[in-house]
Order: sequence, then C-alpha cells, then structure tokens
Amino acid sequence: MKTIFKMMALLMAVGTMNAQDLPDGQTIAEKTYERNEGNSVKRTLIMELTDKRGKTRVRETTALRKYFGEERRLIIFYNTPTSVKGTAFLTYDYPSAEVDDDQWLYLPALRKTRRISASNRGDYFLGTDLTYEDIKLETKISRDDYNYKTIGKETIDGHECYVIEATPKDDDIAKELGYSKAKFWVDAKVWMMRKSESWDIAGNPLKTVNVSDIREIQGIWTLHRIDVQNHKTKHKTVFRFEDIDYSTALSDDYFTEEALVDGL
Amino acid sequence: MKNSILFLKLFLLFSLLGWAQEQPKKTFWEKLDPSLVVATETSYEFDSGKLQKSEWIIKPEFTYKFNRRSKLVFRGQIYSEFQDNLEADIPNQQTVTGYNKRLFLDRHTNLELRELYYYTRLNGLNLTLGKQQIVWGETDGLKLLDVVNPQNFREFILDDFEDSRIPLWSIKAEFDVKDIGVQLLWIPDNTYHITQDFNAPYFTRSLFPTPPEGVSAQLNKPKKPNRFFADSDFGVKLTTFTKGWDVSLNYLYYYDDLPAFYSQLEIVDNNPVVSIDPEYERQQLLGGTFNKVFGSSTFRGELAYVLGQHFISDNLNATRGVETSDFFRTALGIDFIKGEYVLSGQIFNEWVMETISPFNRERWETNYSLLASRELLNDSLKAEVLWVHSSNHGDGYITPSLSYWVNTNTQLLLNAHLFYGKETQLFGQFKDRSRISIGFKWGI
Repeated sequence: MKTIFKMMALLMAVGTMNAQDLPDGQTIAEKTYERNEGNSVKRTLIMELTDKRGKTRVRETTALRKYFGEERRLIIFYNTPTSVKGTAFLTYDYPSAEVDDDQWLYLPALRKTRRISASNRGDYFLGTDLTYEDIKLETKISRDDYNYKTIGKETIDGHECYVIEATPKDDDIAKELGYSKAKFWVDAKVWMMRKSESWDIAGNPLKTVNVSDIREIQGIWTLHRIDVQNHKTKHKTVFRFEDIDYSTALSDDYFTEEALVDGL
Repeated sequence: MKNSILFLKLFLLFSLLGWAQEQPKKTFWEKLDPSLVVATETSYEFDSGKLQKSEWIIKPEFTYKFNRRSKLVFRGQIYSEFQDNLEADIPNQQTVTGYNKRLFLDRHTNLELRELYYYTRLNGLNLTLGKQQIVWGETDGLKLLDVVNPQNFREFILDDFEDSRIPLWSIKAEFDVKDIGVQLLWIPDNTYHITQDFNAPYFTRSLFPTPPEGVSAQLNKPKKPNRFFADSDFGVKLTTFTKGWDVSLNYLYYYDDLPAFYSQLEIVDNNPVVSIDPEYERQQLLGGTFNKVFGSSTFRGELAYVLGQHFISDNLNATRGVETSDFFRTALGIDFIKGEYVLSGQIFNEWVMETISPFNRERWETNYSLLASRELLNDSLKAEVLWVHSSNHGDGYITPSLSYWVNTNTQLLLNAHLFYGKETQLFGQFKDRSRISIGFKWGI
C-alpha cells in the first residue's frame, strides 16, 4: 500500500513539475514572433468559401509580402473570379500597436484606389471567415491583446503543442476583435499555431481554425492550408497556399499604390 | 497619318524589346494569361413601357508576360444592343480618331479594341505604351479630375465608367523622385466625348438652348484638332504619401472633350436658322486630391481649377453665343466603414469664376451624393443605394442595386435608375428614362 501511495505521490510530483515547466502563455506568444518568416515571400493564395448549403465559391489570388525594417507590407492581387480580376489590396502593417495600419483597395471596375480604414480589425477579410487581424497575424499569437494562461500540452496531427487560453485584456479589445475568449494550440517545435478556437462576445462558440500541411520551404517553416469553420453561420473557408517562393527578391515597387493599378 | 504610324512603330518596337528580354524558362502558353467575361443587361423603361436596352458584351482579354518586368495586354470587346435604341443606327463617330473607331458589323453589333498596351519596368521607370485608360481623381459618380479619357454618353452617366470611358492611344511614364511619384502623360489621340443625336434616349438637351419658335437649328460638323504633336494632350501628376495623407497634384494641358457650341443666326432660303458650329478648345486644368483615414472613416477631397472653360451663354451680346471663364470645382467626401456596412457622402461645389451668364446653370452650384451599401452572406450578396441630388435645381437620381454571386464565376445583377426633377435640368430631363435592369456577368 505504501508503495502505491509513493508511486501516486511521485506521479503527482512529476505532474506538478510538468505544469511548472510549461512556458507561460505570454512567452509562447512572444516565441511565435521570433519565427523566421523570410524577408519576402510570393505565393498563390486560393480561398474556397462554402456556405451552410454547401455552395462553394473559389477566389484565387497572388500574395506578396515583404519586410521594410520592422514594417510589414502585403499586397494581394485577385486572379479569379475573372470579372473582378485585377482587384488588389495593399496594407502597410506598422510595428507599433498604437499606429493603425494603412490600407488601400484597388477596384478595376472603377479604376480607382480606395483608402480603407484599418481600425476595424475584427471585420471579416473579403468575405472569408478570418478577420483582418487574423490575416495580419497569420499563425502568430498576439503579444498585446490578451492575458494568457498555459493549460497544458496536447498533440495535434502528431505534433506536440502547448495549449494556451487567452482572455482579452479589456472589453474594448474584446469588442474590437470580436472574441470574448480564445484557445490556441502552438507547435512546441516550430512555434506556429496549429489550431485555435474562439468564442464570440456573448460567450458562444464562434470559430475553429485548423492549420495544416506545415513543412519547410527553402529552409522556412511554412503553412500550406488553413481551415476555418464558423459555428454561428455554418460558413467555412479553406485557405490554400501554393507556389511559395521566399528566394526571389521582390522589388519595393510592388508594394506601392502604383503597383495596385499596374498589377503584376 | 505619318505620325500615327510612327506611334504604332514605337509601340511595336517596345513590344519586340519585350520579346527580346524574354526568359526562356516558360513556354509561350505558360506566359499567356487569357480570360473572358460575358455581361448582359436588359432594361425596362417605366414611362414608355418598352425595353430601353438589351445588351450583350463579350470581353476577351489576353496578358502575355514576357518576364517579371514586362507584359503586353489586349482587351477587346464585342458589343451588341438588340433594341438598337441607345445609339440608333450606325453612328458617324466623327469625334473619334480613325485608328480609335469601333467597327460596326451592323446597327446592333460593334467590335472595339478596348486596350492594347505594352507595360515595362526599366530601372525605376514604369512605362505604359499603347491604347489605355488613365484615371485620375477620388470622387464617385461625378467627375472632376477624371477627364484624361473621354466618355461615351450612350447612357448618360448610368453606364459603368469602365465601359463608358474611351481608352486613348497614349504613353504613360512613371518614376520616383525621392518620395514623390511622378506620372507624365503624352496623349496624341484626338478622340473626344461621344455625345448622342437629338433623337437618342440620352441626348442631353438641357445643355442647349431651344431656338425661338419659327427658327430652326442646324448642327454643323465639329471643328476637330487633328495635328499629331501640336494637338496632343499632356499631363503631369505628382503623388506622395506622408504622415498618413495621400496627396496628389495634377496638371493637364488638353482639349475639352466637349466642344464649345458657337452659334449665330443665319438666313437660309429666306428662313432664319441658328447655325451651330462646335469647336474643340484648348484649356488647362490644375488640381489635386487628398485623403486620410480617421478611425473608421476616410476623409477625401478633390479640387479642379480649369483655366478658360467655354460656356454657352444667355447673354445676347456674347460673341457667337459663347462666354469664357475659369471654372473651379471641388469635392469633399467621407467614407464610413463598419463591418459589412459602408456609408459614403460627397458634396460637390462648382464656381464659374467670371461674371458671365452661362446657359441653364448658376454661377455657384452644389450637388450631393450619398451611397449606402451592405455586404451579406460572406460577400455573396451586396445591396447598395446611390443618391445624387442637385441642390440648385432640385433634380437628381436614385439607384438601388443588388448583386449576387451564384457561384465562383457568375454574378446576377438587379438595379433601377430613377430620375426626378424639372425636365429642363441635367438629371430631371431623363425622368422619362427611369428604368429597371436585370443582367448577369460570367467569366472564365
């Protein structure tokens, strides 16, 4: 009997040690920013939008991203649907959280570039189930918006992940983001988010995001697929990334308002 | 004509240079990006109880990418209007240069080269050479700086500007000087607005005084510039983005796309006749745009100062019925975006700077526009209402519209254009043209 108690005590001690050994949530969030993303990348982004009746629309884009110091610039050109081909979206993402991003949208039907407010970061990105903030973070976990609690380790698709629970720091942030709570599964090896769940402001389950097909491209860990299920609208979006190229130098000229008009 | 051929040779030379720079890694077919859009719209006119138009537009497009820096773009169009109502019969196209004319197969169908240009980036210089659309300005619905290309007024201003704008053979050069983007334009193409005949549904009769009873009017052939270099238009645009402000300064040395309608009373066969001689006049435009985001709102503005605008005059002492004045136009707008909702308001002011008596307009006029739209069902459905109103004349129009993506490639469209106001005014004159339209766009 004593032996059993000793074994249980030992297991509990090991368990306690494990919980204490887990990095805290803020550290995990910070780690996701340290990952090498490459200075620039060009890739094809295909978005499949499926409504609750199963009707699917596909949009194919070419996305270019480049760092200008700490400032990150992203430009997305629509290739399909053909009737909106040439639509392009440019964003300047500034390192300071205090400064709103600058965003422009080029509409070929008007042949005009529209300046867009970037303050509504909880708005949905071009009809998909990810918000502008989700798109901006890719698989990073926000350093500034949440209080974190590490709640354990789980395995996702055979990969060990830290599980952290996130609560917005205040009500204003919660309203801005559209989430009252979130849970993230962060790969303990490559520091990329592999899964997330989020709850709306009223506390109802809102979205489940699964990131998959993560592999090294030109020495950089790269995701190839994101599945997003919106539990409220039953709408889902699949993001597929193809033809990923980190090695070709992208000219600064691609990340300008003129490039929105001129296209690729 | 020789100079037109020179322009064509230049275009071919640059295109061939593109081929010379070609990288052998991809095959011809891999470098070619073809696409096709088919659009149709049928409009029912409330007043007459008849179809106002029944049009089909087929738009093939080919982009050939020589390499990462150069491409050749072709956009064509086959346009059919089965009612033969908007541009009845085969128009004479007298305001269009010979190499920019549409080819009419019959009274319903025409072929048009919409765009054909070679684009290249050469060590900081971006060059676009060929037939193209060049768009300036920030405003929606009404144009201030968007005057580089002329327009076909087949449907007044109801048609998409993308379709009604007439592309011109031109050269556009863009480069940076420090933080300032410079755009230079040379436009040797002497094509001007296509306005409609007296009996066309969208003939803008509010622009012309009606001759006194018993006096007939005779519209003579327009006197059109035709010298390749001397009658070219030239433009400069400077742009910069600083401290969150997008700013541009624009200058255009050009011929007004609408002629000055000189008139005089003549006696022909013992009958009084008002003889109207349209002549295109040179003028200069100075202008600029700005915009900045404040929270959820974008504040934007546009200014255009035209030196030497010609107006048909009410002053009986005006020389040949026309007076000249500088003309100052401004537009201020605010766009508010929240989630799927967009609310956009604009106020347009126009001042005729000299003390003259322009026909059917006041020296200071104000127009408003309000746009409200909402995206629904993950952007597959869009509902929108646009309202344009003239404060001085009390006329305007309202356009409610719905568009719905049936699948990846097909979009259904339903809209109405409802005019109101006095029949003598710009918008009110089309009260009888109010219509409802249905159509679709399909692309591959």
